[in-house]
Amino acid sequence: MTDIEILLAQFEEIANNPKKQLEQYISEGKKVIGCYPYYVPEELIYAAGMIPMGLWGKRGNPNKAKEYFAPFYCSLVQMNLEMALNGDLQKLSGVVHTTLCDTLRPSSQNFRVAMDKIPMIFLAHPQNRKPEFGVEYTMAIYSKMLNQLEEIVGRKVSAGDIKEAIKVYNENRQAKREFVKNAGMHPELISAVQRSAVLKSSYFMEKHLHTTMLNELNKMLQASPIEEWHGTRVVTSGIICDNPSFLKILDDNRIAIAADDVAHESRSFRKDAPYNEDPIRSLAVQFADQDQDTILYDPSLNSRPSHIIDLVKNSNAQGVIVLMMTFCDPEEMEYPSLYNALKEAKIPCLKIGYNHQITDFGQARTSLQAFAEVLSMKN
Amino acid sequence: MIDIYTMGIDVGSTTSKCLILKNGKEITGKSLVGVGAGTSGPERAIQSVLSSSKLELEDLDYIMSTGYGRHTIEIADSEMSELSCHARGAYFQFPNVRTIIDIGGQDAKVLHVGDDGMLVNFAMNDKCSAGTGRFLEVMARALEVNVEELASMSQLSKNNITISSTCTVFAESEVISQLAKNTDRCDIIKGIHRSIASRVGALARRNGVIDDVVMTGGVAKNRGVLHALEEELGHKIYTSELAQYNGALGAALFAYQKLSR
Repeated sequence: MTDIEILLAQFEEIANNPKKQLEQYISEGKKVIGCYPYYVPEELIYAAGMIPMGLWGKRGNPNKAKEYFAPFYCSLVQMNLEMALNGDLQKLSGVVHTTLCDTLRPSSQNFRVAMDKIPMIFLAHPQNRKPEFGVEYTMAIYSKMLNQLEEIVGRKVSAGDIKEAIKVYNENRQAKREFVKNAGMHPELISAVQRSAVLKSSYFMEKHLHTTMLNELNKMLQASPIEEWHGTRVVTSGIICDNPSFLKILDDNRIAIAADDVAHESRSFRKDAPYNEDPIRSLAVQFADQDQDTILYDPSLNSRPSHIIDLVKNSNAQGVIVLMMTFCDPEEMEYPSLYNALKEAKIPCLKIGYNHQITDFGQARTSLQAFAEVLSMKN
Repeated sequence: MIDIYTMGIDVGSTTSKCLILKNGKEITGKSLVGVGAGTSGPERAIQSVLSSSKLELEDLDYIMSTGYGRHTIEIADSEMSELSCHARGAYFQFPNVRTIIDIGGQDAKVLHVGDDGMLVNFAMNDKCSAGTGRFLEVMARALEVNVEELASMSQLSKNNITISSTCTVFAESEVISQLAKNTDRCDIIKGIHRSIASRVGALARRNGVIDDVVMTGGVAKNRGVLHALEEELGHKIYTSELAQYNGALGAALFAYQKLSR
């Protein structure tokens, strides 16, 4: 195995075994906080000396969670509650439940009722996040979240602790952005499956350790010669795209991910927290600066399609694959404007239904192969 | 001059089709077996077409597989998606084709073809059998008629009734309700055809419908569905006797193209 392959295998091992990571943290006497998607200011958890771990559901079918949700409910949210009801989250010291969409909001109340033994931190981000009153509101809810974290950990968290955490997280975001570029330039070295594992592992690792490993990988990738890619290049867009069976279809058809607009991936690390004497304000301004996301209020309505078109052009991609999360209202509602913008820009687009319950991607395989054939013929 | 023989194998979800082309132009044989991926269907279809063409496997210069079970054909030299193959097969038969509606056993696809006959874009149904051949089979069973009888019976319809286009299970339940009310079977069948047309029409309108429109796949044999689609879309729809073999034909054409290169 090459040094790159050894590192990638380590990332894959972590991405595929979050439970093992959790057990390790608990055995080391560390407290772990689960974080719902997304825009949780994990820096506050890190500053309190605890480990934030991402809760983005898992592959499988809900059983116990069906008692709490209608069948037409986001599988990611259903599977989070399923994990909780199955006892997978019982070692967590708390869960931060976000409320940015109409699915997450009621889910937070279901979680509270179903899991009264796990402390739940209710995080209601504002939609009007940019005006000063929005920033102040975000600061207020972040301060409240910090108070709850302090109660869990049993100590006060200083401004210095938070500033240090922001530095660690900004470095990690920078490393991930760098990796996305490197992976796009070296599809022969980083498969779609491996790319996903590298980014996903970040949700289960202490960020400074993830950054150290990722910087090492980035250095090796940057030192590698760029080879001609005998395949196609696309931008992926959606909430999550982490199923190795699905990603392997991209690899089998030599479809490289040149860049992404995926919430689980690049949307989560686009913006750094800017410096401010008050670190809570830094984090609030970081959230205010977030844009081009289906779950964030966008008065212009068009910034996300333009952003994705720019991604395609800047990453030298030939098309866009939209992974449409089943029953995701925000993504569905924005799709027509994205579709029209891509059509106008003459960028081929393929929409594929995606959720955690799919085990057979046979139809997706046909669509992806045909899409690759269409893109190849255009060359 | 040595003749070049290429074979296209289209392994669908419910049928296996094989077609052999001589020099990329002349069809020397074709076969169809009524079972598809994961069955003995592909092997039987291959043997059948070789036998009717009086050829041996060794006589074939290139074999291209396509369809849902395309990955399972070990003797294939390469494979392509059925979407590209249907585009190529339809263009071979109808050079003015720009829109192809392909309704197979378990899925429905609408393809756009460029001036050169290459696939430009497409839309596929989601994981639901509404608007597919399976939908027709389920309805025929509920009505206790053969699938082949549906087209002729729908021509005898005198009244319009509506059958749901959203879900095969709900639609079957509606059909049973209509039967319980003694509704004429011919009216129910026409309602079923209009239901498919509504579902597939919505799929077609996603990318737009451009003339000439050609219908391929097994369901194209049912003229009742074809006419319902013409009414739904407001476009004339062409089809041919080779509609069900169109994917295999496209695969055989691509196979010939591979050799030409």
